[in-house]
Amino acid sequence: MAAKKDDYVPHHVMVIDTNRCIGCWSCAIACKQINNEPLGYFWNRVLTTAPNQSSTAKAPASDNLDVPWGTYPNCELAYLPVACQQCNDAPCVKVCPVQATFRRDDGTVLIDYNRCIGCRYCMAACPYGVRIFNWGDSQYAPGGVVGYGKEYWTGDRLVFTPERPKGVVEKCTFCVERIDVGEKPYCVVACPMGARIFGDLNDPDSEVNELVNIGGGEQLHPELGTDPNVYYLPVAKRVPGES
Amino acid sequence: MATTTAALPARATRTRTFRPIWAWYALLVALMVWGLAAWIDELHYGLAATGMRDVVSWGMYIFTFAFFIGLSAGGLIMASSAEVFGIKALKPLSRLGVLSAAACVAVAALMIIPDLGQPFRVENIFIHPNWTSPLIWDILIITIYFIFSVVDLYVLQRHATEPSRWKSIVRVMAYVGLPTAILLHSVTAWIFGLQIARSWWNTSLMAPLFVVSAVLSGTALVTLLALCAEHFGKVELAEDTRKWLRGFIVISLFIDLFFVGADYITVLWGNVPADRAALNLVLPGGSWAQLFWIEWIVGGLIPLALLLIPRLRKMPGSLGLASILVIVGVYAFRIELVVLGFINPLTQFPPGNAVGTYNPATSSFQLVGRYHPTWIEIGIVLGLVGLFAALVTFGYQKLHVMEPLEGRKHRKTVSTRTSGS
Repeated sequence: MAAKKDDYVPHHVMVIDTNRCIGCWSCAIACKQINNEPLGYFWNRVLTTAPNQSSTAKAPASDNLDVPWGTYPNCELAYLPVACQQCNDAPCVKVCPVQATFRRDDGTVLIDYNRCIGCRYCMAACPYGVRIFNWGDSQYAPGGVVGYGKEYWTGDRLVFTPERPKGVVEKCTFCVERIDVGEKPYCVVACPMGARIFGDLNDPDSEVNELVNIGGGEQLHPELGTDPNVYYLPVAKRVPGES
Repeated sequence: MATTTAALPARATRTRTFRPIWAWYALLVALMVWGLAAWIDELHYGLAATGMRDVVSWGMYIFTFAFFIGLSAGGLIMASSAEVFGIKALKPLSRLGVLSAAACVAVAALMIIPDLGQPFRVENIFIHPNWTSPLIWDILIITIYFIFSVVDLYVLQRHATEPSRWKSIVRVMAYVGLPTAILLHSVTAWIFGLQIARSWWNTSLMAPLFVVSAVLSGTALVTLLALCAEHFGKVELAEDTRKWLRGFIVISLFIDLFFVGADYITVLWGNVPADRAALNLVLPGGSWAQLFWIEWIVGGLIPLALLLIPRLRKMPGSLGLASILVIVGVYAFRIELVVLGFINPLTQFPPGNAVGTYNPATSSFQLVGRYHPTWIEIGIVLGLVGLFAALVTFGYQKLHVMEPLEGRKHRKTVSTRTSGS
């Protein structure tokens, strides 16, 4: 690996291997804990889909979790963990009237909780539905884990605070406070199957570089041109007769 | 000479309707107080007091905002086209039209404030504007349009007393006003039309559709105001003026229904699941189908019949009734446009989006969005409607905006005055 210069900016990317995902919601719960998300808030969700399905071509069998798609005997079931896709050309950044949502050079899209005016245009613009608004006073589970518990600033921007003010939009930050000190996002650490791989796409020797460029990592809704920094490894279907 | 004779009946009316007008103002003040109280309540509880949640995250404030932006069109477009295209029959309505345009756009701008989660940070719009956001351009054009309408009203007021000195300025204002009005509606349409995340909005038809439905609802509003003035103020609308108003409404209603229908056909034939998901909600049989009936029957076929079938057209009150129905239809269209864009999100898999509030009795997830406005939202909107009515009534009384009556009795004097100046 080449020696990194002081002003080196990594390109943070997450790859999610949908073959390994067992739909246990550990990533969603870990996310809730580290970010102190109130009751009724999920920055990270594990959606029930058919394999390799990224848009709703047919209606789901049920509104509920874990119900296979299709009718017996043609049933299919796979999981799609969805949080902010950290788009390089993010619609939310383009529509924010006050530049409260912004993209850092490392690819993370963040919200300045001190600047957001709460117009929710970003929620209308996001194709992935990952933004959550603070509608009223937050409620917390009694005795819940507070997680990181401190404010985190990028320059003069308040991009994390344990209790977001009423009336602002919040979302996944790629655990900016952890990746800035070289740690991995907390959902990556929490996944019992190792389905989440995090790293620097600019590093040619990194695992994410290999998975994105050779392993067939795919973005959600690539046709929209948002160019997300979250990639998914498709479910490999088994060929009859092979074990 | 003409102005003095014209002002006389108006003054007589004011003394005669002195008592009812105070009852009217009292009603409007009551509405505004209700709206203010509702807003204070909303400030306390946050937007949790509204029916909006994370799936349907824009509601009554936004579609009423878009509706009022549309209403503001009619007046200015009518005043400007009277001048630009030389439609003499519409000139008497110029000042009333511009007055309603100014009031509508002011109320539309205020409608955004209760929709903000952090209304006291609104200054960030001016400190850190993001020029890629259609919202910033919309705020800019709304400001320009409001200032323009107020200046135009002033110019028209001066023109009424000194026609020869102000004639050329009125003409310049008219030529600037027409494109400004079209731009206002286009930019407002692009708030929605440019969004790739909502296939229901993402059509290049959006801006033309907004312009034509704005002309439609705006003309209907000015017609209603003029009919009110005729009823309460004892001024008389010329048959020619009625004919032009009827013509404006019929033609823009035809174009409006044509555009909406063309959009339906494109979605139906294409049969793309994400597009169909939204359209199926509004077509007969869908859960929002009442909007379809209001738009096509109540605000479409019935007004067309009232304005086109000779026997119905001659009925007294048919123009006023048609105007009311048209406005109701356009409001239904605004609801359809804004809310249906949200109901089925692009990424829609079980269990859906987290709603963003916690209620032990219900799921924290919503796969298909739901929306019902609460009394807080309805109160704030009615309060602002009251403000609009108060502004128009007050302006009408103080500015005598209906000067040259162009009634049968006055036609001769007025036409000599306009041609002679």
